Amino acid sequence: MTWVRPTLRVRLTALYGVLFAVSVAVLLAASYFAMDEFLTSTLPPPAARDALEGLAANYGVALVGATLFAVAAGWAVAGRALAPLRTMTRTARRVSQDRLDERIGLRGPEDELRELAETFDAMLDRLESSFEAQRRFIANASHELRSPLTVIRTEADVALADPRADVAELRAMGEHVLEATDQTDALLESLMLLARSQRGLVPAEPVDLAAAVRAAASLETPRARQAGVRLDLDLRPTPVRGDARLLERLAGNLLENAVRYNAPHGFVRVATGRRDGEAVIDVANTGAPLDAAAVARLVEPFERGRRTGDARGAGLGLSIVRSVAEAHAGRLALRPRPGGGLEAQVALPLTT
Amino acid sequence: MRVLVAEDQVRVAETVARGLRREGMAVDVAPDGASALEKARAVTYDVVVLDRDLPEVHGDDVCRALVHEQPATKVLMLTAARGTDDVVEGLALGADDYLPKPFRWAELVARLRALERRNGAPRQPVLRRGDVELDPAAHEARRAGRVVPLTAKELAVLEVLLAAEGRVVAVYDLVERVWDEHLDPLSNTVRMAVMTLRRKLGDPPVIDTVRGVGYRLR
Repeated sequence: MTWVRPTLRVRLTALYGVLFAVSVAVLLAASYFAMDEFLTSTLPPPAARDALEGLAANYGVALVGATLFAVAAGWAVAGRALAPLRTMTRTARRVSQDRLDERIGLRGPEDELRELAETFDAMLDRLESSFEAQRRFIANASHELRSPLTVIRTEADVALADPRADVAELRAMGEHVLEATDQTDALLESLMLLARSQRGLVPAEPVDLAAAVRAAASLETPRARQAGVRLDLDLRPTPVRGDARLLERLAGNLLENAVRYNAPHGFVRVATGRRDGEAVIDVANTGAPLDAAAVARLVEPFERGRRTGDARGAGLGLSIVRSVAEAHAGRLALRPRPGGGLEAQVALPLTT
Repeated sequence: MRVLVAEDQVRVAETVARGLRREGMAVDVAPDGASALEKARAVTYDVVVLDRDLPEVHGDDVCRALVHEQPATKVLMLTAARGTDDVVEGLALGADDYLPKPFRWAELVARLRALERRNGAPRQPVLRRGDVELDPAAHEARRAGRVVPLTAKELAVLEVLLAAEGRVVAVYDLVERVWDEHLDPLSNTVRMAVMTLRRKLGDPPVIDTVRGVGYRLR
């Protein structure tokens, strides 16, 4: 004998059938005993027994018939009610990393199943966009890593293809290759940092944002001087808790960006302090005019402002800033500066 | 053979230009799409080596414009995107060839020479006229079976003269094919190069001067 798989439908049908049979049986039993009392008091005993036997047989047939009908109806109704679950199972089976565009799209009454289906669809939306972001990130990362690789391969290949290459040429090749490997190293470092901040596990050591910005500013000063850009600092003690290395990198990236995408004789204004119960770093810089759409794209990985032909900078700077800020339960806000350039603000929870 | 290298990575552009010049090609460099188009409109290049991710004007737009405006110029697309879809897309834009980065140097040179051979009248990999023979890929010229040692520029001049199959090559064309944009048009560099080539190829002389027009290989 094959065992019926105890699916929800079978169990619901069985429960329905048993409940129905029991309630009908109780009803019939009550009716039977009432008739018994009535017939024995009105009819002579042999006639009453005959009548009761007939009644019992009829009641038995009615009980079996009604129960069978109830089980059949219960089976059908349970099947209908559970159909959305089967749709969901089928959809979930079809969904895979390469097929995240499947949705249940359940129609019908606003019931629990519809709610479940909508929750499921929303989860698929989030999964799809996160996989998509990851795919884009990997494509961009490999594209960026190929740039210095191309320099290395071309330099070495061209130098070696010349059998008469002299020491000076080979030396120049070596230097260019070193430069490109430094670039690769910096890029990998940035990628690691981004991954680290996205992991979301940030140690909570006391950090002063003013000190982090001061350290970043002293590193950025020579480049700023070379570019003819003035650095104005207004730093007040701003205690927060977090990962000192990540927060220093956040300040460094903000300043580096502000100096790199600046205009000749421009300035970078940096302020730290408390505002509205938050720890805030404000960075404003002069530069080319930006529109809101361009500013919104700046936090996307590998997005650069107008390129200057300078191969440095992989376009990860502001992505890292945003990711570090979010890992510290804070946020990064960017907006175009009136008259050209960018205004960036990082707000983090203050330490009380 | 005149080549334009349109590439925004300065290091790569310079190295490629240096290597191609050593191969006897006349090479100009454009760091962005706008200047690439400007140069390609002024000179008819044999091949444009086009990076797809160019700033200012995107490489795809440069490619479209070149195919439309300069049908004689071949386009070799160079990009870090190496998926089949990218290759298909690049070729669909009108590019004649596609090479993903990082590439092998020997392959780039070989592809450029192959593109040049397909330009205009079909050409053999080894060019011959009378007892003069030239293998551009091997940088080797022979007269009556004997190797003639020539510089990269002289080899390039000989290549243009051989490809003309006895027709007169105007000085202007010679300049455009063999020298890059840094040549001073008032100098007598061209005349000197042709004279040395004529001397090196030996007797009887095979290069005629057509006064006021140019040169011809007998």
